[in-house]
Amino acid sequence: MHEVSVAESLLKTVIDQAETHNCTKVDKVIIKIGRASGIVSEALTFAFDALKPGTIAQNAVIEVIDVPVSGICHSCGSDFNVDEKYVLACPCCGSPSFKLTAGAELELSELEVN
Amino acid sequence: MKLKVASKILDANERIANENTGILKSKGIFSINLMSSPGAGKTTLLEKTIIALSSKIKIAVIEGDVAGSDDAERIDKLHIPVIQINTGGGCHLDASMVQEAVNDLPLEGVKLLFIENVGNLVCPAAFNLGEDIKVMLLSMTEGHDKPLKYPNMFQTSSALVINKIDLAPYVNADIEKIKKDALSLNPSMKIFEVSCQTGEGVEKWTDWLLTLCS
Repeated sequence: MHEVSVAESLLKTVIDQAETHNCTKVDKVIIKIGRASGIVSEALTFAFDALKPGTIAQNAVIEVIDVPVSGICHSCGSDFNVDEKYVLACPCCGSPSFKLTAGAELELSELEVN
Repeated sequence: MKLKVASKILDANERIANENTGILKSKGIFSINLMSSPGAGKTTLLEKTIIALSSKIKIAVIEGDVAGSDDAERIDKLHIPVIQINTGGGCHLDASMVQEAVNDLPLEGVKLLFIENVGNLVCPAAFNLGEDIKVMLLSMTEGHDKPLKYPNMFQTSSALVINKIDLAPYVNADIEKIKKDALSLNPSMKIFEVSCQTGEGVEKWTDWLLTLCS
């Protein structure tokens, strides 16, 4: 939906983290993207690649850890996991009232640096 | 070398949003992030609200749009502090844009700040601006299927204003279904039914706003 602004924020976080640890080069950026985060991995990677030239992350490759959606239903109490990107109702009882416990992640997990 | 990081990618936005909260709190201003699809009536709701509350509290408005200053010009006619943000193609406001606007607005005496987000039912829900609450506006002409199609917007909002209720008979939209689905997504959501055209229901909404600012 808004991958360019997310990629800008990611690049800034990557550079800040690398500089904090006195690194001069970032080789790999490992991120977690939840399927319900609304972020399309390919679009985020594309935007990151477009923004990275001229920075210490210019040769960095993005590796995406895909996080499936899971939740707890407010109505029937079941813990559920689904394959879809969006959950509109609890797959067990059909209630639309539930809390996502995973799948909304948009996190920088790990860096490989020099 | 591997570096374990585990930080949210939008942490930078969160940090600035927290600063915004601090700035507004220190000035005693209650802030509302007003979100809807394009054309639902955000600016018209603001016009009606500002007129209704003009003798009671001082309001300021930050207008967010992809382009143009039409909305800010409309609000400016009501002689309150207003500033226009153009995102230049961006689909939502972020905390840094709002911080710049907050710093530029004359906010002396202001009790209530509306941040009118870019018309969009997806992205604004993901970006914290530092506001006290989010309010979602939905018009009857958009149809009753919207809560279940755009659940994030309804789950993150404290209140739902349903606008254009005077048009309900002409558009085959079921207001009871909108309310039922919105409440199932967010059981604590306050719901207001208004017509900014006829003025129906606006007073209940503005009375509620006054309780938030007192």
